[in-house]
Amino acid sequence: MARVTFDNVVKKYGDNTIVKGLDLELPDGAFTVLVGPSGCGKTTTLRMIAGLEPVTSGSIRIGDKDVTTLEPKDRDIAMVFQNYALYPHLTVRENLAFPLRAIHVNRAEALARAEAVATTMGLSELLDRKPKDLSGGQQQRVAIGRAIIREPSVFLFDEPLSNLDAKLRVEMRTELLQMQRRLGITSLFVTHDQEEAMTLSDFIVVMRDGEVAQQGKPKDVYDKPNSTFVASFVGSPKMNLLEGTFSAGKFVSESGLTLAVAGVAAGTKILGVRPDDIVLEVGGKSASRGRVGVIELLGPRAIVQVDAAGHSLTAVVEASRMDGIVEGAEVGVSIRPGSHHLFDIATGLRV
Amino acid sequence: MKFQNAMMAPLLSVMAVAVGFPLLYSFWLGFTSYQLVSGGVTDFVGLDNYIRVLSDPDYWASLSATATYVFLSVTFELIIGLTIALALQSQKWFTNFTRSFLLAPMFITPIAVGLMFRFFLNDQLGAIPYYLDQVGLSYDFFGSGRALISLAFIDVWQWTPFMVLLLLAGLESIPKQPVEAARVDGANRFYIFRRVTLPMLSPILIVAVLLRGLDALKVFEYVYATTRGGPGIETKTIQYLTYQNGISYFRLAEASAMAFILLIIVMGVIVLLFRRLERVNVR
Amino acid sequence: MNRFKLIDAGRILLLVVAVAAVALPLLWVALASFKTPADLNQPGILWFTPTMANWTEVLSSDIFAAVGRSVLVATITVAIAVVVGSMGAYSIARFSTGGSLSRFGILAAQVLPPAVLVFPFLSVAYMLRLNGTLVPIIFSHLSFVVPVVTWFLIGFFAAVPKEIEEQARVDGFGRFDTFRLVVLPQVLPGIGAAAIFGFTLSWNDMFYGLILSPSNSTILPVAIAGFNTFRGVELGPMSVAILIAIIPVVIASFFVQKRLVQGISGGAVKG
Repeated sequence: MARVTFDNVVKKYGDNTIVKGLDLELPDGAFTVLVGPSGCGKTTTLRMIAGLEPVTSGSIRIGDKDVTTLEPKDRDIAMVFQNYALYPHLTVRENLAFPLRAIHVNRAEALARAEAVATTMGLSELLDRKPKDLSGGQQQRVAIGRAIIREPSVFLFDEPLSNLDAKLRVEMRTELLQMQRRLGITSLFVTHDQEEAMTLSDFIVVMRDGEVAQQGKPKDVYDKPNSTFVASFVGSPKMNLLEGTFSAGKFVSESGLTLAVAGVAAGTKILGVRPDDIVLEVGGKSASRGRVGVIELLGPRAIVQVDAAGHSLTAVVEASRMDGIVEGAEVGVSIRPGSHHLFDIATGLRV
Repeated sequence: MKFQNAMMAPLLSVMAVAVGFPLLYSFWLGFTSYQLVSGGVTDFVGLDNYIRVLSDPDYWASLSATATYVFLSVTFELIIGLTIALALQSQKWFTNFTRSFLLAPMFITPIAVGLMFRFFLNDQLGAIPYYLDQVGLSYDFFGSGRALISLAFIDVWQWTPFMVLLLLAGLESIPKQPVEAARVDGANRFYIFRRVTLPMLSPILIVAVLLRGLDALKVFEYVYATTRGGPGIETKTIQYLTYQNGISYFRLAEASAMAFILLIIVMGVIVLLFRRLERVNVR
Repeated sequence: MNRFKLIDAGRILLLVVAVAAVALPLLWVALASFKTPADLNQPGILWFTPTMANWTEVLSSDIFAAVGRSVLVATITVAIAVVVGSMGAYSIARFSTGGSLSRFGILAAQVLPPAVLVFPFLSVAYMLRLNGTLVPIIFSHLSFVVPVVTWFLIGFFAAVPKEIEEQARVDGFGRFDTFRLVVLPQVLPGIGAAAIFGFTLSWNDMFYGLILSPSNSTILPVAIAGFNTFRGVELGPMSVAILIAIIPVVIASFFVQKRLVQGISGGAVKG
């Protein structure tokens, strides 16, 4: 159980700066998710905590201990890799017990603890099998069990669910979260899937180009994204972003789309609206009109694409309100009051 | 010490003692007048040994004989080896057995192979001359003008499997898609082989030829088993000549000089081979 | 369809001829080992009464002492080569230690003409008074077995996925323990093949053996050459000696065949 602190950590490969002056503090006992597009530096950051990548400058602390120059084995961490990295020549039982060998636990006790962990992870029947005889989900459980057995200070996960099929992935998410709650160990989970990030995290860190774009509680990051990047990255379907001029309670885009937006200072800005906050009215009195394009039915909701004044807007509509909204229909478009986000045109930052 | 260097250290130590040191010593020996009988008394004679060796016509004859030998054996090993490797690649039945059996000769101690052929081809005791005789052909395998060819033949018998091994590995490692694409495009087998497979195989062919060629340069056992350098000096290959100088005549220093000249030739070839390998890797 | 059959038939014919070409001299030697001197003088006869005289003569000679010495030399050489070579091969495969220079060095060491190294070995052996022992031979064998074994293993080590090593390091093992407990088990088949390959190279050497081994306690290939005297034709016993040298090695080649292709692909083809 320990905080993980990054102090101005920089990572370079030759002339390439992968991670630029990272300052992070991962809360003790929390499930933190590190998310971002490919190449943002999230995996490198994780590997630096593990000690698998050397730090170019800056320092990393686990708890109060400076671990920047320590070998992985001296950092009291456990890690689960994307492809589970199970030892092919060992059985499940031996795989689970293996980390205990490093700290010289005697063989009998190690095997006993391995069996205990196996029971927790639902692997008791598989103890004598070799990794190649296990399914993807089973292999992953073994990998997680192997991480648990030492009860380290920090858990590190490098996209462990990416190799599983969709249904299994959702199941494992829940199991993983339950396990972390039970053990209370500080965990850092890396993924490129923002939905996974939102559902799993107590604390979320969005990265881009080697820097932190935004960090905080998932709800805060979702409700108040501090840049157009974070706004479009977090939340599915993506937030609608429109450039235009605000004056006298109205927003007018370049191509003439007019929307009523109250309480915004005059000027040219970027308007951001989440698909959930766009209201479509069949017929309706709104001045802004659009034509319905493609509709994707998702059971309780539908994703409706609307062409309005040359813009392609995405709206999410409750199934109960879909009457009359069909492909080709003419609808009135408006925004739920107070749900707008504003961003500076030049910097993309929240205003 | 950095981990990776610590892991290399034992290897480097052994190589320093087993190769590095003898190499340097041999280099030095070439400049002395050391003879085993002189009990350690040596004079530094500069380039005398080298000059003596390089001006000896027998030495050049030996180089020439060795070169002929290498050329003959490697050429045939390449052609026959490639053919067999291709045949083995498409083999479906008894694959393991055929491959193991065909690879077997390269594992036999060369002196045994040499002796085996000495008598297999012997004009009085050997099976082949006997049967040739029955058909009316008379061919003295170890006679003048023919001994060198017979020795090359022995080399081919023993070392074609090595070629086959390398070429098989190469054939199995080149991508299959270009061949399949060509076949879909309607090309016939020979065309595919000539224009698709062969070019992809060429780096490996070069490696195989050079490795085998460098090894053939060192031929000794076949000569020792059969002709002992004869008839005359026709089959006195370089390694045999060096051995004779050093051991039969005890002229260690001169033999060292002789060996070192060969080393320089070999090193030259290796550097060329290596440049070629590097280029392949970069590609 | 017909064209296919023709090529396949040609292919099979070629392989049959190849197998026959390999088998014939070996068979002849095998037969010769059972022939009396009289029979040997007549290469044409196909039916003969086999005799065990050659076998008893050779088997009761000290040929087995020579075999024993060959085994000893080869075992020690291979043991050293595998230990030293696996550590070095791992370093080269994983960290590219020494860059192209190390790969060049290994290749160069493999193709050095023995004539270059043998005289220093001889001279030093005399100086250190080791000329009556097998020690000089072992050192000389190391000079070519160690590079070959190392070269062979590089490909196998390169094939071990990095993640497994990283997992071991994160699980609490230092670098050498990771090598010992996790990496080595993965390359065990490769090490086995390298050991057999190295053993065969040492077993087959005659050049160093001829020059460096004591005349009364020599290694097998030299002992075999000893049958090749100019005094009379000891063809029968010599055939037996040849078979003794050949048979274990041919058997070993059956086991090693598959791994050899793998090892050569890893080392030679990928450079």
